[in-house]
Amino acid sequence: MAKKNNKFHLRDIILLALVGIIFGVIYWAAAFMYNALTIVFTPLKLPMMGNDLTMGLWCMAGPMAGFMLKKPGAPFLGEFLGAAGEALIGDQWGAANLISGAVQGIASELGFTLTGYKHYDWLGAVATTITTTIVTFAWDWFRNGYNKFGFKNVYYFSGRLLSMFFFCGVLVMLIERLLERSHVMKREEFND
Amino acid sequence: MNPSFKLLLVLIIALEVSFTRHLTINLVLIAVTIIYLLTKRIRPRLFGWLFLMPLFPAIAVFITIAWFSPGHDYFYAWVLFSRIYVYVFTGAAITQTTSPLELTRSLEQNLHLPSKFAYGTLAAVNLIPRIKMTVKTIRAAGQMRGIYLSWWSPTLYFKAILHAITWSDQLAQAMESHGYVEDRARTSVHQIALTTRDWLILIVSIILIQIITFALP
Repeated sequence: MAKKNNKFHLRDIILLALVGIIFGVIYWAAAFMYNALTIVFTPLKLPMMGNDLTMGLWCMAGPMAGFMLKKPGAPFLGEFLGAAGEALIGDQWGAANLISGAVQGIASELGFTLTGYKHYDWLGAVATTITTTIVTFAWDWFRNGYNKFGFKNVYYFSGRLLSMFFFCGVLVMLIERLLERSHVMKREEFND
Repeated sequence: MNPSFKLLLVLIIALEVSFTRHLTINLVLIAVTIIYLLTKRIRPRLFGWLFLMPLFPAIAVFITIAWFSPGHDYFYAWVLFSRIYVYVFTGAAITQTTSPLELTRSLEQNLHLPSKFAYGTLAAVNLIPRIKMTVKTIRAAGQMRGIYLSWWSPTLYFKAILHAITWSDQLAQAMESHGYVEDRARTSVHQIALTTRDWLILIVSIILIQIITFALP
């Protein structure tokens, strides 16, 4: 195997931004989900559940980038550049998108850091699921008033963990497996 | 105002508003950005869109705090409700007045962001219409073979990523064949000015925001 190259080149950066934006475009097809879930969960006295159950979707680009490039910094860049791209085209959340993108990026990055950037497998996927859940939840604690929810946070936290596990863990691993089998990510030797 | 400084100001506002809980500053910020957008002659339809789009999430947060949280804190519910509109309107104040190209140039020249990040992201942003088309095409192609690709289908993401890999190679090659070399010093034809006025606006706005935030509820 060629020596590991941890620098980001122009094509890596374009690829990460593209992946982030592509995921953003696909989520838009699922934007109604948030509203539908909110309507379903409001009578159950859990109106924020829609936010937690769809959260995994928004955090997929990070772990995906990590699995694709297998470089330190890739999960952060994948998540952040995607958010930056969406902010540039005038997505509804605007510049706040950049901040959430940075928070989510750090959150996914942490999972790979904790496993020493060696586990691009189930262990890495589970680690990034857990760190992303904890960090984004802490962020919502301040930003979306979760500090006021009391005991219900148990439901919200579990909902979010479930969502992260499904989207950032299972779905990302399935996509990764397809990419692995098609040998399209073996471009490293051609750089430099 | 200088695009980078505008972005910086909006980021500072978003961060500050996220970690404080004051209603007045939120309302003032919304009012100021609306006036700013009006002076820039924004289409009325866009205003309607900016009001409607975040309404659902804002109501969800409001209901949760006001009805279903142990404290029934109506003041805090309004703070969170208005906070979402602060994000949306300050964000629009940038995206509706500054083009991605201007912002990228400014980030590179004024804030010294490495050019590969600046132009790499811009290259991807310029492909957005094509990305949208491609996602539609992939799904349509699937349907022609009787396969429905939902938004949680790994195949849909996989096929889209394959396109992204090809595009990123082609775009990087295209940029390099036009003389772009990463990590090299660049000269620029279009200079983005960073004047004393920009510094003044940034500093005065930040000070004003602090005063309003901490003096009023």
